[in-house]
Amino acid sequence: MREASVIAPRSLREALRAVGRKGVVAVAGGTDLLVRLHDVAAGERPSFLVLDGVRTLHSIAPRGKGLALGPLVTFSEIERSSLLRTLAPQLVEAASVAGSVQIRNRATLGGNIANGSPAGDLLPPLYVLSARLELSYSGGRRQVMIEDFFKGPGETVLRRNELITRVVFERSQNRGFFLRLAVRRALAISKVSVAANVSLRNGRVQSVRIALGAVAPTVLRASRTEEYLLGRELDRDSIETACGLASGEAAPIDDIRSEADYRREMVGVLLGRGLLRIASAR
Amino acid sequence: MKLKFTVNRRATTLEVTGAERVIDLLRERLGLVGTKEGCGKGECGACTVLLDGSPVCSCLLLSSQVAGREITTIEGLSEGESLHPVQAAFAETGAVQCGFCTPGLVLSSAALLADIPAPSREQMKRALAGNLCRCTGYQKIFEAVELASRNMRREKRRRR
Repeated sequence: MREASVIAPRSLREALRAVGRKGVVAVAGGTDLLVRLHDVAAGERPSFLVLDGVRTLHSIAPRGKGLALGPLVTFSEIERSSLLRTLAPQLVEAASVAGSVQIRNRATLGGNIANGSPAGDLLPPLYVLSARLELSYSGGRRQVMIEDFFKGPGETVLRRNELITRVVFERSQNRGFFLRLAVRRALAISKVSVAANVSLRNGRVQSVRIALGAVAPTVLRASRTEEYLLGRELDRDSIETACGLASGEAAPIDDIRSEADYRREMVGVLLGRGLLRIASAR
Repeated sequence: MKLKFTVNRRATTLEVTGAERVIDLLRERLGLVGTKEGCGKGECGACTVLLDGSPVCSCLLLSSQVAGREITTIEGLSEGESLHPVQAAFAETGAVQCGFCTPGLVLSSAALLADIPAPSREQMKRALAGNLCRCTGYQKIFEAVELASRNMRREKRRRR
């Protein structure tokens, strides 16, 4: 039985040289990849490009008014970062409800993005924080906005010879949340999730971004809902209308985890919960 | 490749491909069969080990990912013949039935108590959500964690 080979670079340059090679798959935390490979015979497995040893990909640092995170930052590191708690509470909420302790200790930001699942819990927060991804290859790098990165479930614009090397986003406005529903609280993939980034001024919505997870082929911005909320006070009527609009913007399907009708309705319920929380916190 | 890492406080060097799962390395190469494989997919937590003190699933970990790092398995928790307070508490409260989940649950509980010496029930549930037990219904496990917490804090006060 042939065991697949492993490349374990110590520097980004080495990693970028190896990533384009035939039959090589980059591994960050491995918590999704190794599950997918569980039933694949050893001889059929790809070679692993194990990124753990590339130090520069693990950092959390302020950049301008926002933040720059390395793709190997784990969910647990996000959960425990006091900097992120202040600057990106939505991301912290999402990181702390996903998986289990064991999974969060290994699962990474970059892995969650590269997987391209519409149910990836860190993605709606990254959408509402206007995240920008730095994609590097051995000859250079390019920047892609998170909304332009995903093409469909599991499909992204990441090329075979590229790695996500930095995730940059602005700091959150003064109000934000991430809420999700799953079959149980731990170790379950989201049936539906909602993230928001809101600023209020004199009781009115000055800016708002809302993203919906697991209700379309990719994470979705609820732009009509955002437009409606702009300039309004958050009261019972405006929240109810916003929830109805957001439900209408979702384009969910029936699948093993949930049903389209339920998902559509829960988009409204979760958005309502989050907006009420914001309204009553004033 | 030559893998250098620490297992249960012992510096260890093994010749590996780097693509093996850590659970296979522990069980088959090092004979540490206290680590159990349940689902092999990160859902049951029976394969939990501590990586630099933090619980991880050894079924989702490649040998090349633990180079230079420290692994603690259930065999490394006790000191000689004397049980770790969490192990003693599991035995005392009857938190062990078939026993398959026990090594993972004991390690997750030990990591929790190292981090939060007196956790609430809510904190326990969160910390142990990645370890499934199909026998006990969890009540006796939570009682064991509470007992271990009390004993460990008493011991700490006594030593001061």
